[in-house]
Amino acid sequence: MDLLSDLATPVVMGIMLGGLYAVIALGLSLVFGVIKEINIAHGDLVILGSYFGYVAMTVFGIDPILSLVIGMPILFGIGFAIQKYLLNRAFKISMDATLIIAFGLSLILQNVYQLIWTPMARGLTTPYALESFSAGPIHVPLVYLLDFLAAILVMLFLQQFLKRTYLGRAIRAAAQDRKTAHLMGINTDRVYAYTFAISMALAAVAGIFLGLTFSFTPISGMSFLIIALGVVVLGGMGSIVGTFVGGIAFGLAQTLGGYFFGVAAQMLVAYVMVLVVLAVIPRGIFGR
Amino acid sequence: MKVKIPRPRGLLTPLIAVVVVLALFPVIGVSRSWILYLFLFFIYLSMANMWNLLAGYSGLVSLCPAAFIGLAGYTLAIGTWFDLPWYLGVIAGGLVAAVFAALVSFPVFRLKGIYFAIGTLVLPEVLRFVFTIWAPIGEPVYGGGAGYTVKGIADVSGSHTYWLALAIAAASIFLMRYVLRSKLGSGLAAIRDNESTAASSGVNVFNLKLSSFVIAAFITGIAGAIFYVYQGFIEPMSAFSVRWLVIIMLATVIGGEGTEEGPVLGSIVVVVLYFLLARYAEISLIIQGSILVGIMLLAPQGIMGFIRKTRPYLYLLELATRRRGKSS
Repeated sequence: MDLLSDLATPVVMGIMLGGLYAVIALGLSLVFGVIKEINIAHGDLVILGSYFGYVAMTVFGIDPILSLVIGMPILFGIGFAIQKYLLNRAFKISMDATLIIAFGLSLILQNVYQLIWTPMARGLTTPYALESFSAGPIHVPLVYLLDFLAAILVMLFLQQFLKRTYLGRAIRAAAQDRKTAHLMGINTDRVYAYTFAISMALAAVAGIFLGLTFSFTPISGMSFLIIALGVVVLGGMGSIVGTFVGGIAFGLAQTLGGYFFGVAAQMLVAYVMVLVVLAVIPRGIFGR
Repeated sequence: MKVKIPRPRGLLTPLIAVVVVLALFPVIGVSRSWILYLFLFFIYLSMANMWNLLAGYSGLVSLCPAAFIGLAGYTLAIGTWFDLPWYLGVIAGGLVAAVFAALVSFPVFRLKGIYFAIGTLVLPEVLRFVFTIWAPIGEPVYGGGAGYTVKGIADVSGSHTYWLALAIAAASIFLMRYVLRSKLGSGLAAIRDNESTAASSGVNVFNLKLSSFVIAAFITGIAGAIFYVYQGFIEPMSAFSVRWLVIIMLATVIGGEGTEEGPVLGSIVVVVLYFLLARYAEISLIIQGSILVGIMLLAPQGIMGFIRKTRPYLYLLELATRRRGKSS
């Protein structure tokens, strides 16, 4: 009984943290599912979202979550440009080319952040960032709950968007079969650019909630990319539900690993789980 | 996309001559800074050659050279704490990296293409956590995040590490020549171009991938261990850092992925960049990133791909192959 009530907090925290990881991984998963490219710069673009929230908060005094109203369109535009002018061209050269170009982009972004915001760790410390709530034996920081709610909202929104709108259907068509979609009169290059742009808008959301939950530095992008890859690999590439489940599995592995083996080993436990899942079911839990 | 280009054969004698001349450099009193440039060039060249073997010739875009380098470096450093002589530590480092490659090959080779890249990207990260926590000896001052010094290298001079680096670079070049002209090389090329066709033509896909992965891990590991003999100190953040991947990828991509001469040219560019950029340290990543993006968009085959299209090269190639063609 004692163990159960002790475990309640890490389990709830793991699930909620999993929501955050799912939002971070969602854009990556979407781009992979549709364009079949791994965006190695995804983590750094998420961090761009965090820095945007940081500027909105410290310079203009806007609440980070409210700043998304401006932040999402900006990142949407940046994403559209990246795919249209860089990756769409790389895509035609070879698979490795997109990987290497995204890697180059990631290096450039890290350096730019360092120049503008210095290597110091930053965080989005809002008045509500430090509050927590309790329910019986469970004590959870408020931002974790916000992470989880944001995850569910974003997930539902994306699903409905892909299901109901014309662009959403075009994206799914291009994901299933690029050539056929092209023959049906879909401008696949533009659909790809929109897909990447949507992935960047998701990265803006992820960046804000990441900044509320953790502190970040110019080079944090790489570690969050690896977490996101782990999540996507767990859940299966290109599946929204899979990404959500993968995120929760990763979050749980981290908090429970921390509970049983100490905080220093928590990420190790999560990564080892990813490797084991890769070895047993290479295409993930919901993979096709 | 891949165009078959006749390779110049022979050229073994000039290669050996170059190696001998380079080996004489420390003896004839070449300046210390040049020895250092060349040392780094040899280390990067061996690693880039092995990355090229995987990415350019086997279709395995591995993102984990840092795992081999870090593991080998740690084997060397911890070995010397247990009174292992450093030269045995270097070999042990290569062996541990190779064994590690063989062990992880079972999960990661189930992954195809891009999944393989992801699987390998996770490996250095996992190892970094392991070595940040694990401290087999020397606590509390050493081990964990603090890292280890390499012991028993007081009498090892810059010339010694230079010769070692030269030896491993030369070995990696000869190995590439040998592997690419062997049955293993043709099998790997078949896998790269179309894995299922290769498998149905009787190519043992798993075994060939495993051999190239283990060979690459061994040589990369040895080169990494030699680097740590020179540096004399290892800690987990830099040992498993993504920086290694940046250097190796730059060297291969700039020179030309999937060409034998590519890594040589690319490594020269990388070493020159490294010392040029020391003055502009704050924007060095922007420059390196832009080079990667630019090369990939404008000349995806790198410098060698560009040179190979020019007239003088084709002329020289024709001369070389015609003469060889008669004798064989």
